[in-house]
Amino acid sequence: MIEFKNLSVGFNNKTLLKDLDGKIEKGQLIALMGVNGAGKSCLLKTLTALNPKRSGELSLDKVSYESSSPLDLAKKMAVVLTEKIHADFLKVIELIHLGRSPYTDVWGNLSDADSKSIFEVISLLKLERIQNSFFSELSDGQKQKVLLARALVQAPQYLFLDEPTTYLDIPSKVELMKTLKQLSHEKQMAVFFSTHDLNLIEDTVDEIWLIDDEGVLHKKGPVDMHLSGLLQKNFNI
Amino acid sequence: MITVLLSLVLISYGDVGFTLSDEVVVWQLRFPKIIVAFFAGGLLASAGLLLQVFFQNPLAGPDLLGINAGSSLGVALFIMASGFLPESVMTIGQPFMAMIGAMGVFTLLAFLVHKNLSRISLLILGLLIASFTSSFISVLVNMTPSLQVKNFLMWSMGSFQGQTLEELPLFIFLSFVGILLLITLPKKLNQFIIGEQYAKSMGMNVRSFKFSLILICSLLVATVTAFCGPIGFIGIIAPHIARSFLKRSDIRLVMPAVFLIGSALALFTELILIFTSQYSLATNSILGLIGAPVIALYLYKERRML
Repeated sequence: MIEFKNLSVGFNNKTLLKDLDGKIEKGQLIALMGVNGAGKSCLLKTLTALNPKRSGELSLDKVSYESSSPLDLAKKMAVVLTEKIHADFLKVIELIHLGRSPYTDVWGNLSDADSKSIFEVISLLKLERIQNSFFSELSDGQKQKVLLARALVQAPQYLFLDEPTTYLDIPSKVELMKTLKQLSHEKQMAVFFSTHDLNLIEDTVDEIWLIDDEGVLHKKGPVDMHLSGLLQKNFNI
Repeated sequence: MITVLLSLVLISYGDVGFTLSDEVVVWQLRFPKIIVAFFAGGLLASAGLLLQVFFQNPLAGPDLLGINAGSSLGVALFIMASGFLPESVMTIGQPFMAMIGAMGVFTLLAFLVHKNLSRISLLILGLLIASFTSSFISVLVNMTPSLQVKNFLMWSMGSFQGQTLEELPLFIFLSFVGILLLITLPKKLNQFIIGEQYAKSMGMNVRSFKFSLILICSLLVATVTAFCGPIGFIGIIAPHIARSFLKRSDIRLVMPAVFLIGSALALFTELILIFTSQYSLATNSILGLIGAPVIALYLYKERRML
């Protein structure tokens, strides 16, 4: 369980959001919403230890982030980010291999267990056909899937995705949501993602977290969130 | 593919050996050149690869970013001051000062990139650093007695031939240290290729890795610059040649290929110098003739990316 109390997040010495409380449990599928600039990415990057927190408490399975090593954290959580990858001649399969880095030796050689988990993820996401293509030549939907595969071979208990649906067409969005639901409900993974696609998530997720325009974080089930009127108020719908 | 490259290296190696006849004196004169060209080319090429990964910029290279220039400034200060220094620091002083200069420039660049400098600004900054150091050096030159100036100007031409047998062991030692350090990097470089944040999320200590890249890359550039003078183009073109031959990005494959292509380029330059010895051409002018068109070709091919 990831737990935080009185958490402040921000970057470049500026605090963006403060007094945040909450917890993420295994098996939960949570969508983080908020208008652009509300601090969604910032919160997500703080929860994944990519950005340092400003203040407050933040712990994974009762151990605070500061007292766990980066490698221990990497074995428990993985991310899919919005940053573009600029690498020429990077093969899909090699990119997926990289997800095993926390487990491989100094040379990055794969053990049998590594190969097995890579094989499982590739067949789960049906990437067999494109595994030998170059990453740079894939469509946005395929890229997103490959990045998800890279995160999954890291064998995370907590999976974080920063706006994974943004560049996808409708069928790919639906498919991705299905996969995320499957991961959280069948594999008991915690899946936490930020998004703007309200109509896509309302029937799927367990909880919606909404950062309103005053920087307050609301956490409710999709039905309660709908009834509360908060979404309508914040997105003018 | 690698064997093709290797044989290319061996052919140029063999040719150089072949044109020289087997007299011991000649062999002793030629042998250091071959060794120096082999290592210097490889080290510069590897440094170029490290820089391209570090800055995520396909046009990064020790010369374009001004790291060579930083090294030169260090060496210039050392040579100009050498009249006042004790004999005991003479051998180690030059590489040491070259290292300080290279690290200074690299650290400055790394700091500025941290502040969100764009790819193009980075290159312009490299040019500025190079022109700043060359102005600084010409001021130094005007203020220094002529013997030291002559030494410095000879050095600044850039050449794989300046070494005597006495200097060779230190050069080879530093080269091996550089190669050993390079061997530790591939896994982390591979993680770094897909971006700093992803590398971090996979448990890598990005800050200390970047620091070690700065240190290692400066050592490589400084070793070559101290002994051979500023050598251009090898560092930037070798990684492109390697990647477009291999069509792979895995550093475990790319790095040895880059090293060997760097060596091959340096040996090839030496070979041309031997064939055209009546004109006494400069190493850098030959590398420029090869290098500039290669970079232009790359820019043309990848014009969408920049």
